[in-house]
Amino acid sequence: MTDRTIKALLPGVFYRRPSPDAEPYVTEGQQVRGGDTVAVVELMKSFHEVTAEESGVLQRFLVEDGDAVEAGQDVAVLGE
Amino acid sequence: MANSGERAVEIRKPGVQATVQDYPGRSGMLRQGFFPSGAMDNVAMRAANLLVGNPQAAAGIEVTLGGFELRLDADATVAVCGARAEVTLDGQPLPIWVSRPAAAGTMLAIGVSPGPGFRQYVALSGGVDVPELFGSRATYTMGGLGGFQGRPLAPGDRLPLGAPSGDERARSFRESARPAYGREWRIEVMRGPQATPDFLTEADMAAFFDRSWPVDRNSNRTGIRLESYQFAWARDSGGVAGGHPSNILDNPYPVGAVNLNGDLPVILGPDGPTAGGFVVAATVVHGALWKLGQLRPVGDRVRFREVTPDEATELDRELAARLTADSLDNV
Repeated sequence: MTDRTIKALLPGVFYRRPSPDAEPYVTEGQQVRGGDTVAVVELMKSFHEVTAEESGVLQRFLVEDGDAVEAGQDVAVLGE
Repeated sequence: MANSGERAVEIRKPGVQATVQDYPGRSGMLRQGFFPSGAMDNVAMRAANLLVGNPQAAAGIEVTLGGFELRLDADATVAVCGARAEVTLDGQPLPIWVSRPAAAGTMLAIGVSPGPGFRQYVALSGGVDVPELFGSRATYTMGGLGGFQGRPLAPGDRLPLGAPSGDERARSFRESARPAYGREWRIEVMRGPQATPDFLTEADMAAFFDRSWPVDRNSNRTGIRLESYQFAWARDSGGVAGGHPSNILDNPYPVGAVNLNGDLPVILGPDGPTAGGFVVAATVVHGALWKLGQLRPVGDRVRFREVTPDEATELDRELAARLTADSLDNV
């Protein structure tokens, strides 16, 4: 079966942690549930949460901390 | 149901930021400390109003990026103009720049815009009838004034609508009259009020006009941030006004100022500050201000083009000529 992905809904700058000194929201290989925050996107002086739509194992991130992302871009792969 | 007789719409999803805006906003208030607010892209707002039979000045909803939904609680003609996006009425596609009468209960949805462009404008026949504050219904986001309760819209907000004109038809704003959007913008400016020779060198201004400036993620209605650049500057310091040569004694800022905040250019948007102590290297001309509303943070780039006063006047005249009922076709 094909892997599912988690998408950024907004364009902006991608971060995996709530603040520079904090732990990441999730690490690769971790189980997530639908609605869990896995990252944030900075846009218009606000941070907007990137959430998993469904449950699964977050296998890997497709973008790095501090990368620019577009609206609708895949940012992580979600597996079983 | 106290409001059962009132025409209204209910906000279901506001998206990143949706506000009530009008045109030209709260003008004439600079000396009282108010930038004008109003539609950041006044062209799309005015076209949307024309399409639904409203005066161009009527209040509508400015949507940022998309991801927006509202429900009509009354029959109304609706139009969405601006950044490309999938728009639907009860699931049926509604092209942007096109109006359609819709019945009470209809859901209007705007998808997330893939670009080009960054904002959409929703016009509703009769206009959004929130109270006027100092002559305008525009929301001033930084001041928390005007619009609907002085704030961006939230789910469940009910916006009252005014009386429609009765001239409500499915119409299209002619393609040749629509503004061109892209990812590389040319924005017309006039030099100054603080440029060469007192504040910046000729080489600085040449770089200013040559560069393709990226639009920073932290751009909003207050200002469009670009990217730091090491200007040479005509002075060693700001003298009594401060250590950096971008510093001047506090003075009023024009709408559309390209403010050099240290070495960081920021274009002041409709909710910007009315005064401050940084030089303004150039000022966006009136007929190009609409472009500020469509600059998409992260990805879009800006080049400034210097124009003469005559060219600036001509731009404004061309825009006004396109924004008339002559640009509408029945569909």
